Formats: sequence, C-alpha cells, structure tokens
Amino acid sequence: MGAILQAILTGLLTGGLYALIGMGLALVFGVMRVVNFAHGAFLMAGMYVAYFVATGLHVSPYAGFLLVMLVLFVLGLMTYALLIKHVMSASHSMQILLTAGVSYVLIGLAQLVFGADYRQLNLPIASQNDSIAGLTFNRAYVVSFLIAAGVSTTLYLVVARTEIGRAMRAVAQNRAVAGLMGIRVERVSAIAFAIGIACAGIGGALLLPVFYTYPTVGEPFQIRSFVIVVLGGMGSIEGAAVGGVLLGVAEGLTAYLWSDSYSQVVNFALFLLVLLVRPSGLFGRSAA
Amino acid sequence: MALPHRSLALPRLPLTLRAALSLLALAAACRRGPDARDSGPGAVRIGVITAITGTQAAFGQAHQRGYALALEEINAQGGVLGRPMSLDTYDDQSKPDIALQGASKLVDQDHVPVVLGSYSSESSLALVPTMTRKQVPLVMPTATADNVMEQKSAWVFRLCAGSGDYAAAMVGFLKSHGAPRTLAIIHEDTNFGQSNAAAMRKAATASGMMIVDEESYGAGSPSYSPMLQRVKAKGPEILYFASYLLDATTLMRQSRQVDINPRFFTAAGTGFSAAEFPTDDKGAGKDAEYTIAASQWVPQVKWPGSKEFDEKFVAKYGVHPGYHAVQAYAALKVTAEAINQAKVAEPAAIRDSLRRVHLESAFGPIHFAENGQNPHPVVITQVQKGKHVVVWPEDIAVALVLDTPPWSAR
Repeated sequence: MGAILQAILTGLLTGGLYALIGMGLALVFGVMRVVNFAHGAFLMAGMYVAYFVATGLHVSPYAGFLLVMLVLFVLGLMTYALLIKHVMSASHSMQILLTAGVSYVLIGLAQLVFGADYRQLNLPIASQNDSIAGLTFNRAYVVSFLIAAGVSTTLYLVVARTEIGRAMRAVAQNRAVAGLMGIRVERVSAIAFAIGIACAGIGGALLLPVFYTYPTVGEPFQIRSFVIVVLGGMGSIEGAAVGGVLLGVAEGLTAYLWSDSYSQVVNFALFLLVLLVRPSGLFGRSAA
Repeated sequence: MALPHRSLALPRLPLTLRAALSLLALAAACRRGPDARDSGPGAVRIGVITAITGTQAAFGQAHQRGYALALEEINAQGGVLGRPMSLDTYDDQSKPDIALQGASKLVDQDHVPVVLGSYSSESSLALVPTMTRKQVPLVMPTATADNVMEQKSAWVFRLCAGSGDYAAAMVGFLKSHGAPRTLAIIHEDTNFGQSNAAAMRKAATASGMMIVDEESYGAGSPSYSPMLQRVKAKGPEILYFASYLLDATTLMRQSRQVDINPRFFTAAGTGFSAAEFPTDDKGAGKDAEYTIAASQWVPQVKWPGSKEFDEKFVAKYGVHPGYHAVQAYAALKVTAEAINQAKVAEPAAIRDSLRRVHLESAFGPIHFAENGQNPHPVVITQVQKGKHVVVWPEDIAVALVLDTPPWSAR
C-alpha cells in the first residue's frame, strides 16, 4: 500500500510540472485556436536559458526561472509579431506547418549554437531526500512542484480575475465580437501567446534540476502537452492543470503496477479513449 | 479534402523574413563533425555513421574523437594506398531509420568502399541487410546486441564483445564474489537493452541464479522511481542494468531516492562504463560510486598502444577516453590496414582483406573469425573514487572490489 502511495506521490510531483507545461499550450489554443507544434521546442529553449543562467550567473533555476520567464515571454512576443500574426486567419494546416517550422528552426539553432551534447546541472538538492510518514520526497522535485503550482495558480488568477484575463476569455469566446466590443484582439493574442511560451519555458527551467537538456529534449513533452490539452478539454486551462496531474499519476502508476515501457502506451490509450468517448475532454463543456 | 491553393503559400510574410528563415533552416541542416570537404581529389573516402545528435550524442562524440585520432595517425604515416584518407561522416541522430538513409547516401551517392558504424545496436542492426544488399563491408565498433551478427552476413565485421560475453563475464565475476542467488534485470527497451537482458537471463539461469524481476523502460524519462520501487519490493541481491548514459544517471540518482540497496549495482557496460558517468557535470557524480560494469577496455590495459592512445586523447581533449572512443579508433586502424593489404579501395577486395587481417591495436589484437566477429575479452570494472578500475578477472585486476554501502551510509 505504501509503495502505491509512493508511486502516486511521484506521479503527482511530475504531474505538477506537466500541468504547467500543458496549461501554456491550452492557453494558446484556447485564445488563438492555434495548435502550437513548437511548444516542446520553447520548453527546450527555457531549459538552455535556465542552464546558462545557472552556470554563467550562478543563479539556481529556482530563482532563475523568473529570468527564463522574461526571456521566453519576449521570445513569444517576437514569434507572434514576426510569424504567428500572419497566419491567424489562415487554415489550421497552415498554422501547424508554421509552428512546426518554428520548432525545427529552434532545434536546429540549438544544435548549431550549443552542439548536440547534453548538459545537466547536478545540483546537490537533486540527491537530497526527506522521509515523511514512510514516503520519500526528493527535494528537487518538491521545490519544482511548489513553484510550478504557484505559477499555475497565478496564471489561473490572471485569466479568471484580471482585465487582461477577461479580454483573453472574450477573445477565446468570439474573436470577431470581442474586436467589435473594443478589445484589441491582436494585442491580447500576442500576450496570450507569450504567456503560453513562458509557461513552457518555466516548465523547462523547473525540470532542469532533475533532468538534462539537449536540442531535441522537448519532443516527448510536446506529445504529453497534446495529451494534456485533450484530456482537459481543448483550450481549458483549469482542465489542462488537472489533465497534467492526471497524466503524471497515470505514468507513475503504470510504471509501478505494470512496466515503465508501457507508460507511453497508457498515455496514448487515454488520449484515444477521451477523443472517442468525450471529445470535449474530461472537463470541457461540449463545443457550442 | 482539397486545400484551397492560396492557403499553401505563406501569406503576407515579408520576403526578407522568408529568406532569413530559409537560411536559418539551411544552416541548421548542416551537421557538425569532421567530413571529407577538406580532402583532395585523390583522397580515399571512408564512410562513417554515428550518433552525432540525439540522446546518444555523448557516445557519438567519443566515436568522432577516436576516429579523428586514428585518421591523424594514419595520414601522418602516409595514408592508405599512398593517398590521404578522409572520413565522410553521417549523423544518424540516434535513430535507426536515419542510419539507413546514411547508408544510402554514403554508398549510392558518395561511393565509399567501406562503412564504419553505427553507434547503437538498434541503428547497427538496421544497417546489416542494406549493407549486405549493397555489397559494401560494414565494420561495427560498438554494437553489443548479439543479433547484429545473427544474419550471418559476409559483409559485416564486429570489433567489440557482445551481450553474451557481457553476461558470461558478469556471472563469472558474481560467482567469485559471494555467489548471489537472486538478480533483477533493468533494461532500456530498444535492441541494446533487450539483447543484453536476454543474454543475462540465459546466463544467470544456467548458473543457478533466480531472476526475480525484469523491467524494461523507455530511455529519456525524468522519473524511474516507481519502477525502482517495484524492483526494491522484490528484494534482489544484485541489479543488472542495460542502460545508456542519460538514463543511467537518472537511475542511480533515483536509486538513492528509493533507497534500494542491493549487494552490487552491476551493468552491461555502455552508460555505466562511459568516461562521463562518474563525473558531476556529465554523469551521476558521487551516485556512480561502487557501480560495477562489464567493460571492453580501460586505459590501464596491457595491450601495446593503449597507454599512448590514452595520453594522446588526454592531451587533445582534456579527458580520459572511454572504451567507445578506442573502439572507433581501432576500427578505423584495422580498416586502413585492410585497405592497404587489399591494394585497392574496392568493397569486395576490402571485405576479403578484412577476413585475413591481423592487427595489434590499442584495443587488443584484432582478427575477425569466420563469422565476422573479433573475439574480444571482457573485463569487469568498478567506479572507485570517480574512476573506472579493473576488478576482475584476477590476473589483470588492479584493485579489490569494494562493498556497496547502503545509501544511508554514503
């Protein structure tokens, strides 16, 4: 029993990071209806920024994530203004081609500039564990989880309570009408896109202490993000948060009860099942 | 569903921006690494496939460094057939399908007479049927999965010892160190891991050990602790890993977290034998201490040239080489020797010459048997104070095996 609880706990801690990463993708999809195939590549960019902040400025990712957030936010604004803006009214396939292209460019640039070799931080905290009530908590995972939870909550509050959040929800509901009501749709879209990218970057920064980075590190997280967004109901950020945690727990439990190799199989089985049975997601309302 | 034609062109992107993007993509497509561009028209070009990018890039880098040192020496001694030798390197991105594309490119387009590679067992296995069909010899430096030799191709030659040799050596070591009765196998889920797991299952069972758990995992995951908990619950005396480097690091860190304390952490070389594994910036650091691995080579072995290779490598790259680098080095050396003996850089002549060649190399004596396999001995090493030291067989051991303390006492 204790071992199952431990597997669930491990899944929860990883799931917290998945949740933040998934919320970023959900926000972009919800507000802009753009499926961002470069989400994983931006996560990779966040990991490299966090890495160089840690090795160059000697700021641990646990504080450095703020800088990562800024850098990725600006990168997101630039990507929107230079590229995404121009395909907002184009077909979905066009948008997918463009974001996939952005992903290839980012990965290719990382390979050119940093090389293909992997980098890791190996902070002492990654080897520190606490035991409470028979459960083992890895400190690096716990701190990353707490920060991810804090950032996710802040994001939720921004979307639910602030003026810009209200504008985002309005644009998500109906772009044309929101424009007619005096909302600056382009500006709101740019900010939503940049926040989504910043979420991927922060997720990357928080993963770095327990993982490593290399140019294509984002690929599995790209796929996980899709699963999370579908689980949570296309475009719902609360749904994505729950979806991320669920995915983490599902992976942990599959690895414990069955086999680590099958955790990806279970991911996709969940994905297909939700699409078949509840296409609007576990928490989404049916599409109007 | 037909797309409207208009939507296929990038709408409203400024031309300069489109041009800049294409340039970026083009630049990104150019791979790094030594290649044939600086060679004269008379150079003998040799094909190399390895993992320059992707999850196995650390091993690909070791390959490239080994090849580069061998190439320097070969060319300093007059090259092959009186002409300089050059390498035509293709990056398989740690993926077997890309390795196959490399074989087509190198053989059909560049017309190289022999190919060396790839790094992983998965990629190397994919190359066997294609190279056999194209009738160009393939020299494998590092693929340990024994199924790469099972197709009995007349065109395939392997320098390294295989998964069966690893398992036999590890079982031999364990028998002389307390003869444990229970073992758990934990392996990554591609050809390398599966083949080494199968070999260990067979060898351990034959020697009377019981396999109490067998776990397969996908490399590149941030969390293996639920799997390690399962293993811990089965209480094996010995763990046997078949892992690449990044997963080996995560596995050892999380073994500490899960507090799993077998008598020995053992492994089928590879990640656990990598020169980077005991280091802080590239591996598991102090969590690598006491781990035991079946290995193909360490710088201290007695073979002529290995000490010099180590010194040259350190002088050039600032780190000691792992066995993957010396395997690449020796593979190129033996290929050069075979070409010289063939007196012509043609695939069939090189193949016949590879069958006859004898070479005393830094990686030990190389002579390919009838089936293309070079019989290479396996040593058992342990990480002690951040270094891989040989602890078995006794006649070449340089240190005694240290007991693995529980994590709470480290």
